[in-house]
Amino acid sequence: MLAFALAVGRAQLSTRIPPGAAAQFMVPQPAVDNSPPENILATAEFDPPVVRPGEKTFYRVTITATENSIKWPDKIPAPPELRLGAVARGQLTQPDGMPFHPVSGFVYEITALALGHFVVSNFVVQVGGSSVEVPPASVDVDGHGVTLPARKLSLEVSETNLFFGQPFRVRVILPAAPGNQIEALRDVQFNGDALLADRLATRRSVETVNRGGQLMPAFIFETAATPLVTGRLNISAQGFTAGSEFGGPVVISGPVMFPSGPPKYVLLVSDWVGLNVRPLPSEGQRPGFTGAIGKFLADRPQLSTNRIHVGEPVHLKFAFHGQGDLTRFVPPELPRTSDWQVIADNPPDNGFTLIPLTDEIQATPAIPFSCFDPSAAKYVDLTIPSLPVTVVGEDLPLQLAASDDEAGSAAPLKLSGLALMPGKTVASLKPLQLRGWFVGVQLVPVMVFFALWQWDRRRRFLEAHPEIVRRRQARRALRYERRQLKIAVEAGDSAAFVSHAADAMRIAVAPQYPANPVALVGGDVLAQFDDAARHGPAGVTVRKIFAAADEQFSIGAKGRADLLALHFEVDAVLLELEEKL
Amino acid sequence: MRWHRQILLVAVLFGAVICRAGTANDYFKVGLEMSGAGQLPEAAMAFEKSAQMQPASGTLVNLGIAEWRRGRAGAAILAWEKARWIDPFDSRAGADLKFARTAAQVDEPELKWFETASTWLPPNAWAWLAGASLWLAVGLLVLPGIFRRRKAGWHSPLAALAFGIFLFTLTANVGVVSRTQIGFVLKKNAPLLLTPTRTGEVISTLTAGEPARQLRSRGNFLFIRTQTESGWIGRDAFGLVGD
Repeated sequence: MLAFALAVGRAQLSTRIPPGAAAQFMVPQPAVDNSPPENILATAEFDPPVVRPGEKTFYRVTITATENSIKWPDKIPAPPELRLGAVARGQLTQPDGMPFHPVSGFVYEITALALGHFVVSNFVVQVGGSSVEVPPASVDVDGHGVTLPARKLSLEVSETNLFFGQPFRVRVILPAAPGNQIEALRDVQFNGDALLADRLATRRSVETVNRGGQLMPAFIFETAATPLVTGRLNISAQGFTAGSEFGGPVVISGPVMFPSGPPKYVLLVSDWVGLNVRPLPSEGQRPGFTGAIGKFLADRPQLSTNRIHVGEPVHLKFAFHGQGDLTRFVPPELPRTSDWQVIADNPPDNGFTLIPLTDEIQATPAIPFSCFDPSAAKYVDLTIPSLPVTVVGEDLPLQLAASDDEAGSAAPLKLSGLALMPGKTVASLKPLQLRGWFVGVQLVPVMVFFALWQWDRRRRFLEAHPEIVRRRQARRALRYERRQLKIAVEAGDSAAFVSHAADAMRIAVAPQYPANPVALVGGDVLAQFDDAARHGPAGVTVRKIFAAADEQFSIGAKGRADLLALHFEVDAVLLELEEKL
Repeated sequence: MRWHRQILLVAVLFGAVICRAGTANDYFKVGLEMSGAGQLPEAAMAFEKSAQMQPASGTLVNLGIAEWRRGRAGAAILAWEKARWIDPFDSRAGADLKFARTAAQVDEPELKWFETASTWLPPNAWAWLAGASLWLAVGLLVLPGIFRRRKAGWHSPLAALAFGIFLFTLTANVGVVSRTQIGFVLKKNAPLLLTPTRTGEVISTLTAGEPARQLRSRGNFLFIRTQTESGWIGRDAFGLVGD
């Protein structure tokens, strides 16, 4: 691709700026034509002058005056066989020589409804308080004649289904004039509903385009536009042909021919193009959305260094790239944090200069950012993550000068060395006085002293009532003897049975006297029964046991078996005696 | 079976204590290595973790040294004060505190008499001493009668001495509790606010390491009283010794 810039235009004349007004002017400006109104010229024509019925032609009026000064009538004297469309108007600041000439154009798209020769008669328009006559113009509507296509612009857009605020590319194409001569296009404007066209990110080029199957060179004006309303939008483009006055750099591909001679400024318009603009979804929106719409990717952020002092700036560089239009890319907003001072880079650089304000910081702040991906119709999180940093505080002295100690503070002149062992440890810095369990521990001695007091009281009580001790001891001994009785019965040991039965009876009645159980005899046991029991089965059992205990070595085998059979009666006697304990 | 369970429980608890101490020692060693390598933030972090797991006077002395060398006077003074809280007899902590206060031109906290008395022993020692002296006095008075022993001549003087010690330790314990409200400003030029809000009017700015007493708290702010004025300060800019 051959690229070069054409610097078209006349050489700047040296302009004398009056003293005292020099500061008012950044660039020397050409003088404006302030000639009397009678010099204003108006022309009118049909393009093309011959059409078939139903075909479109353009009725074009050019007036050498500013557009604002022209009071254009609502209706023009056109015959009813010509159906008029909406009027397009524009103004060209014609830099052709000195002084500066304004040129305004008015264009109607006209459809011929019948055969014949039709004339739009002359009419008068008011220009700056003066009357200027627009000459008549005629068009022939011929059903058999040869007609030339009307000269107009083509408008191409990169997307027709858009989201609100989504930038898209717009191409205004001016095909070559007959003879393949390329004309420049100037003062391009877009007509339509709430469309923001970028006047800075424009591109002019001459390329080969396909028109109706025929390849031809064309002048292309390209820029980015952004819809600012939702719904169905219609846009069109208009611009003035300017001969070889390109007015800026142009990229040219392939061989082209430029017209010679002075340019002819003709206002051309394009057909209307429909756009469908949808609103951005409210759900799923992520923090840090600045209006970036497109398919973007974020590179890993880079920090110039990760070890800094308080107050020392560090640069955080980040980059986004993708398929979206980066000319209208709005970078992330400055993060608000009390720990960092944040300064954004000057565009087009992307990055922040971060200044730590405290040494408590361990990481850079995360910078929320997100974009809307129109192809997926959802928001994408592109938050710049926080990066770990080490912030070193201010330099404190490690050693004091000897003069600092003049006040006699007895402070050491330098810090101590590191401790090589952890030293004395505690479970917690919270003192025991404030811990609940320590108060609980103090209850333990209280409980011990209370228990001792209770024990002492009981002891004194038992000392005053020894029968309680004797009965308790008798019951304990009786339980032991009954276990021995059971063992003797199970073993078939009649001698042991008799011995333990007699001992148990003695133990059971001993507290009643009180006396040592060993000193008691069967009569002492029988004395604890009433007369009926004494002469009843219980008395018989007691007598048998004590008699057997006295004669146990002289009892035969049968007698021993009879004694073992008494164990139920012995149990009954012992139960009765135990109840009296 | 019950005995086995109890032994197992004691073993698990003992193992947990050993593991905790082992991890704290590991962090302590890492801190020493980092300090030797000049990586002070990392060293301070290691000492801080070790101190969080098991507060120790030597660990806190080293934490203070690391913080001081990395330029954080407030955190260093607080660490040394904590070391002295654990062990009032730690000479290094005391010497470093004197050095730091001379270098940073900040005062020591003003202590009341009972607070000064409480610095003579570790805080926990006062608590145990109070409990032991009280129950010793009570025991000497009560136990001979319970156990029917004749009171010896030394019983009563010893009980009186124990009770006297108990009364004195009460004041020291009050001093310990009172000292838990003493803290130190951690950040340089920390704002002292009129109201406990972010946008509160700044009364003055405090020096890192300046002592103050916490009087009350509200949300993320503490109401403190320095030696000259009172106001609100952010929780992150103030550290208590007993925390």
